[in-house]
Amino acid sequence: MDEEPERAKRWEGGYERTWEVLKEDESGSLKATVEDILFQAKRKRVFESHGQVRLGMMRHLFVIIDSSRSMEDHDLKPNRLTSTLKLMEYFVEEYFDQNPISQIGIITTKNKRAEKLTDLAGNPKKHTAALKKAVDSTCVGEPSLYNSLNLAMQTLKHMPAHTSKEILVVFSSLTTCDPANIYELIKALNGLKIRVSVIGLSAEVRVCTILTRETGGSYNVILDESHFKELLMLHVKPPPASSSSECSLIRMGFPQHVIASMSDQDAKPSFSMSHLDSAGEPELTLGGYYCPQCRAKYTELPVECKVCGLTLVSAPHLARSFHHLFPLEAFQETPLESYEGERFCEACQGELKDKSVFTCLACKKVFCVECDLFIHDTLHCCPSCMQTDRTS
Amino acid sequence: MIPKLCYFLKLLVFIILNNLILKLKLNIDGLLVYFPYDYIYPEQYSYMLELKRTLDAKGHGVLEMPSGTGKTISLLSLIVAYQKAYPLEVTKLVYCSRTVPEIEKVVEELRKLMDYYTKQTEAKNDFLALALSSRKNLCIHPEVSALRFGKEVDGKCHSLTASYIRAQHHSNPSQPVCQFYEEFDAVGRQVPIPPGIYNLDDLKDFGRRKGWCPYFLARYAILHANIVVYSYHYLLDPKIADLVSKELAKKSVVVFDEAHNIDNVCIDSMSVNITRRTLDRCQTNVETLQNTISRIKETDAAKLREEYSRLVEGLKEANVARETDMYLSNPVLPDEILQEAVPGSIRTAEHFVGFMKRFLEYLKARLRIHHVVQESAPQFLKDIYEKVCIDRKPLRFCAERLRSLLRTLEIADIADFSAITLISHFATLVSTYSKGFTIIIEPFEDRTPTIANPVLHFSCMDPSIAIKPVFGRFQSVIITSGTLSPLDIYPRILDFRPVTVASFTMTLARTCLCPLIVGRGNDQVAMTSKFETREDFAVIRNYGNLLLEMSAIVPDGIVAFFTSYIYMENIVASWYEQGILENIQRNKLIFIETQDAAETSMALEKYQEACENGRGAILLSVARGKVSEGIDFVHHYGRAVIMFGVPYVYTQSRILKARLEYLRDQFQIRENDFLTFDAMRHAAQCVGRAIRGKTDYGLMIFADKRYARADKRGKLPRWIQEHLTDGSLNLTIDETVQLGKHFLRQMAQPFRQEDQLGLSLLTLEQLQSEDMLQKIAQIAQQA
Repeated sequence: MDEEPERAKRWEGGYERTWEVLKEDESGSLKATVEDILFQAKRKRVFESHGQVRLGMMRHLFVIIDSSRSMEDHDLKPNRLTSTLKLMEYFVEEYFDQNPISQIGIITTKNKRAEKLTDLAGNPKKHTAALKKAVDSTCVGEPSLYNSLNLAMQTLKHMPAHTSKEILVVFSSLTTCDPANIYELIKALNGLKIRVSVIGLSAEVRVCTILTRETGGSYNVILDESHFKELLMLHVKPPPASSSSECSLIRMGFPQHVIASMSDQDAKPSFSMSHLDSAGEPELTLGGYYCPQCRAKYTELPVECKVCGLTLVSAPHLARSFHHLFPLEAFQETPLESYEGERFCEACQGELKDKSVFTCLACKKVFCVECDLFIHDTLHCCPSCMQTDRTS
Repeated sequence: MIPKLCYFLKLLVFIILNNLILKLKLNIDGLLVYFPYDYIYPEQYSYMLELKRTLDAKGHGVLEMPSGTGKTISLLSLIVAYQKAYPLEVTKLVYCSRTVPEIEKVVEELRKLMDYYTKQTEAKNDFLALALSSRKNLCIHPEVSALRFGKEVDGKCHSLTASYIRAQHHSNPSQPVCQFYEEFDAVGRQVPIPPGIYNLDDLKDFGRRKGWCPYFLARYAILHANIVVYSYHYLLDPKIADLVSKELAKKSVVVFDEAHNIDNVCIDSMSVNITRRTLDRCQTNVETLQNTISRIKETDAAKLREEYSRLVEGLKEANVARETDMYLSNPVLPDEILQEAVPGSIRTAEHFVGFMKRFLEYLKARLRIHHVVQESAPQFLKDIYEKVCIDRKPLRFCAERLRSLLRTLEIADIADFSAITLISHFATLVSTYSKGFTIIIEPFEDRTPTIANPVLHFSCMDPSIAIKPVFGRFQSVIITSGTLSPLDIYPRILDFRPVTVASFTMTLARTCLCPLIVGRGNDQVAMTSKFETREDFAVIRNYGNLLLEMSAIVPDGIVAFFTSYIYMENIVASWYEQGILENIQRNKLIFIETQDAAETSMALEKYQEACENGRGAILLSVARGKVSEGIDFVHHYGRAVIMFGVPYVYTQSRILKARLEYLRDQFQIRENDFLTFDAMRHAAQCVGRAIRGKTDYGLMIFADKRYARADKRGKLPRWIQEHLTDGSLNLTIDETVQLGKHFLRQMAQPFRQEDQLGLSLLTLEQLQSEDMLQKIAQIAQQA
């Protein structure tokens, strides 16, 4: 896929002002301020995640990918579609990494229609395969926001009330071709407590603003590829559950992985339940996870048992979602001028150059902005605290 | 100047700090101003400072501040505070706006301000503020208010409330009168309307409760109201101003909001156009008059005699008529009110009718020409004297005499007599003013030289004639708008000397406007609406490509302005042939403004719907049209405005030529300067439609290479010019698309109120900081 040739030669492409990204604005107005605002937003995110909120850990997420004509635009390299699908693959992986007991489904929309690429499922491989295949599809016509939201809603509305129902729209076009009044649909989505978030690839569209505002989602427009990735990653974290959503205990099975060796006489190769109905060639395998309730066999976790409906997870999965509930406390921000001490970041050992530094409240070590974000977003624990823990 | 100002501002800081302040009570140069919002924009503060200076000096001011920065509330809060602090210096605020919705908006802001006052001072509010509009908007009479057109309502109202009708009613109760007016006349004048804020609906409610006529109540109440909000015409049009605004005190402050077109309003109010149809209708009017006179002569000859003797005594006395009778008035200005008696030749009714007949025949004869005639008022008078022996003096009294006659004849339905009224106005004006007017008789329209359609234009060329009494009578007149650049031209064409002339910029936390000048297509062919190349195939194609490209990158609504209806028709037809329209329609729907008002408002409604539900739309409209002046495209309704070409006026028009000549001779304004000024103010108006506030954003695309020239660019308002860097001049379509894309992405990033705080939105503490005060001092640019 990386070798996908660009559809047009560079010199045939549109005129681009690539230096704009690098250029420092003398007047200090546009770029500086917008970037400042973005920086503030970044920080805010760290703070927001803090505090005791209930999170919708069990998520059902539909991703709607616009595949209309506008996806052929070359402003993301090599074009919007390829870039988006590539990032989506990454997103799916991250999503299941962080939300092991959640499910995802993918819908594409083009030519005024919406179609399901994959159904709601908890298996990343299937989605990634579908995404890989979608790269070759052509982008034609207009998208239909209404049709795709409706399609997602039809499935999501049957999901139990304690789960978090979400739709994420990657919207490239600036127009939508709808068969009916979309505001009615927004009302319906709101009633079903489905949260819709939109990532715009070109500009702010009014109907998306309303859609996200009414349903409690977020609406962002990308600046460039890295910003796109950042925005996508925002959706990896489980959102706070709405106060009205139900609380319930969920039965879960923790199947042990049974390894049967070929030498074992009793072992017979068998199909995995999840592979039976998939389009691909079912494989015979020896070992696997057996549902503690009905003994159905699965090769991968997490999964919902096809037979008895029990959610099967492994203990490490659950442990990984743990950090969402007890996040690392936000570091204290101090301006660089007022900070006295060594001007080195504890983590990366780089010189502190940004306008503020961040101090861990527990160990009083300082970090730079990038490390601060890395620690909070990825590590979920303060490296220096861990070190002192171990040594003590 | 600047260090002095800084020192002064420093002093000011101390003064402010001495006040213990909750919420926003500002100290503007020693004046305590209540401001009904939690935050204030820096430019509002600066605006109030300048305004205060103008009021202190008891002079006139010209202030330019972009729309959406809270001009209205700044004006209101400062002037109200001034009125409260110095009740003897400023007794009344007369706020003139253009349209009824704008009037209502002003009243709502005022209400907010007054609520804040009562909350803060806890004193009983003794302020009376009201809006005044035409009978059509204020009438509560069930039959009259059901009529659709303003003229009909006026006429019907007159037929129910005229003094002689009411006199007849006394003797003959079956004669219908308006009970609301009767009620008002009986008791309404003794009991003053309770203090408060009244918009049009409030007045109607009040009228209904009391059973009083709201229109006459309002007209009566403006005499003692503290604030009056009404339309320009009540002050500028001498025909109406004489009736409504005659008794306003000298110590009033007059504000003209959205005044960028004030010169045209002045000119229109003094100009008369006479077509053959007018003359035909006038003919019937004269016949009706004649019949009525002969009838009355048989029945009630005494009445005519009485009128005659009244006219001998002079008009002054004759004018102590009732307010309702003053339906037709003298178009000549108050200070020229004729003190003398009506000349003998038109004193009797028959003579006057005969006189009018002669005048009418003369006009008919003049309209029967085959070539264009242009002459001055004295020339016209000389000619009329030679041809039909009509003297100047009786002509001057024509309007006055007609009014008197109609009253005497007790003609109830005045609306029918609009034609003869128009002619009489013309007669009076032409004989009163020898300068500043021109008469142009065109036998046909320039575009249709074969169809005879003679028109007599009696055209005013000097806007200062109509506005002069306003400047003369009131101690402070403030002219303000979002686009008044270049500032020095208004004092020149309106012939007054302002004490403050200032332009304010918008302080922004993010650059939310992006003016771009597109000069070339991707094929490097220059884009321009210049006369020689406007029909050029390549130019039209490039304009089409620009719109097509923009439709692909701009979300929701785009408004495109053309220079004229004809040009728009040509271009759109050509785009259709080239298939450009079809391509555009894949991205957005297309709506077109037409000359039909109903059609246009329908198109607008659908346009907004398409923007609302995500389909996206383009509105093609015309600079100087209805859309370019009155309608705002907030937020998603206008994410980009494209101005195709420079909206020059139709320069071949003889009226315009005469006016340009006059401007050159009288005010030393070169033709080209004025034309450019006029074109640029309309262009600025058009592109300004998209930005209606600080949270709003939009692209402003000037698609003509001529905009890049310094003489054009320099005439744009400062708040647009400021963002027009060298990098955004003479772009190609591709470059425009790239810049636009970048801009729209930047603007789509989340933007909250906190981001504005301290930069473009100030709390009181921030306002008091010295840095900010210095910055504020730079906002106002003295012209």
